[in-house]
Amino acid sequence: MTAGVGELAALIAGLEEKLGQWAESTSEWLGTAGKATGTAIDKFIRPTVLGFMHEAGGLVAGAGFVAAAGLLGEDRSYIAWWQGGDMERVDALANFSPQSMSRYTKAEWFKVPMATGQPHVTGPYIDLLCTDEYVLTFTHPIFRDGTLAGVVGMDVTAQSLERAALATLRGIGPRAALVNAGGRSIVSAAPDVDAGDIVRPADGALRHAVGRQFTIYSATT
Amino acid sequence: MSLSPLGASRSLAAVFTPIKSGGLVDEVCRRIELAVESGLLASGQRLPNEIELAAALGVSAVTAREALSQLRGQGLIRTTRGRSGGSFVTENSFPSAGRAREKLLGLTRLQITDLGLHFQAIAVACAGVAARRSSTEDVEALRQYIRPETAAGESATAFAWRLSAAEFLLELASVARSARLARELLHLQADVGTMTLLPFEDPGFCEKTAAMNHAITEAVATHDSEAAEARTKELTTATTNWLLAEHSDSQNKH
Repeated sequence: MTAGVGELAALIAGLEEKLGQWAESTSEWLGTAGKATGTAIDKFIRPTVLGFMHEAGGLVAGAGFVAAAGLLGEDRSYIAWWQGGDMERVDALANFSPQSMSRYTKAEWFKVPMATGQPHVTGPYIDLLCTDEYVLTFTHPIFRDGTLAGVVGMDVTAQSLERAALATLRGIGPRAALVNAGGRSIVSAAPDVDAGDIVRPADGALRHAVGRQFTIYSATT
Repeated sequence: MSLSPLGASRSLAAVFTPIKSGGLVDEVCRRIELAVESGLLASGQRLPNEIELAAALGVSAVTAREALSQLRGQGLIRTTRGRSGGSFVTENSFPSAGRAREKLLGLTRLQITDLGLHFQAIAVACAGVAARRSSTEDVEALRQYIRPETAAGESATAFAWRLSAAEFLLELASVARSARLARELLHLQADVGTMTLLPFEDPGFCEKTAAMNHAITEAVATHDSEAAEARTKELTTATTNWLLAEHSDSQNKH
């Protein structure tokens, strides 16, 4: 049972580390990049996203950078985000819109890392801005000279996590579940628990912390 | 022509219907119309030039140029030359009640009823699942869209009401956490979007919508799937009935 837990912990930690390293190099680059422009940001961010998209067995469905207000100019928003193997650009028209800031300032995946200065996982939720899929979004704050400048993030679909984690989870227990910080099931071995349902650990069930925010319940009720 | 029960089904036959050409230009136009209609691009705002537009949407410069030309023909954008030139979204192009009425009158009663039923099926399914899966944060998010935000003493525009009503239903789909239902709802709102501006010009309809949104939110908060479904059915029926009544009135006048 511990082997399975370790396997899933490594899977999630792998994603978090990848994001952490990307955040670090992005902050470093921003510190030396001079005036931030859309073209310069695209040029720096896109190759990394392309790498994620073409990783064998990779879990990332989409990734990119979202600028904080002020980075590109007053009231200017900027989203450099791509998804899928053919690198479809997300929300392209928003970069030309004066109203686009409000599209993401209230979104949990932007708001929480910007408020706490800490990485955060949002979801599983229906992402109507990007993938229109059922996803988890891992976001990490970016700093420029010590000031918050935006976030980098990765979308991982609930479906790809199920593919990667379900067999291992079944090995942990026939009613084991991977849940988010809110106690919502992400992947569940129990046939009557769907991804998205709020679950409780069964009496006497073990709980294992996985990554920064997730927990595995060895059994759910 | 009748198909033999043993032959290929009618849904399979659809595979061999002709594929329309020129779709890409229409798709670019549709995206820009949608961006204007949803308030993402505002009246008077400058549009990216054809090179920027082409790069952003991943199409060729020729496609972008044709799309801009088509939008100019529709009167949605105007283009000026010179140093401060470019393409701009025309004033009052969208959202306009005139356009909405034109679209409504272009439909038959049958089409309105059918669209209403489709819309109802999706929205009601969302409501039922949303009630099962809602958290406290979900309910808070829904509450934000019960009625549009306004500054003290000001009343919301029909456009703001419509936007808020559309967001409320999308939020309901998000709370339900079904990607397929949410996508379907988005497509349907693109279809009925322009027309649903009309009922929100009626303050009575606005208040009635807010009351129904409130009732749906309470049902979702108490995990009462049946009530959430019933209230959502009332909400979608109210919109369809309003549009049908308006359709009859406008036809009688002509």
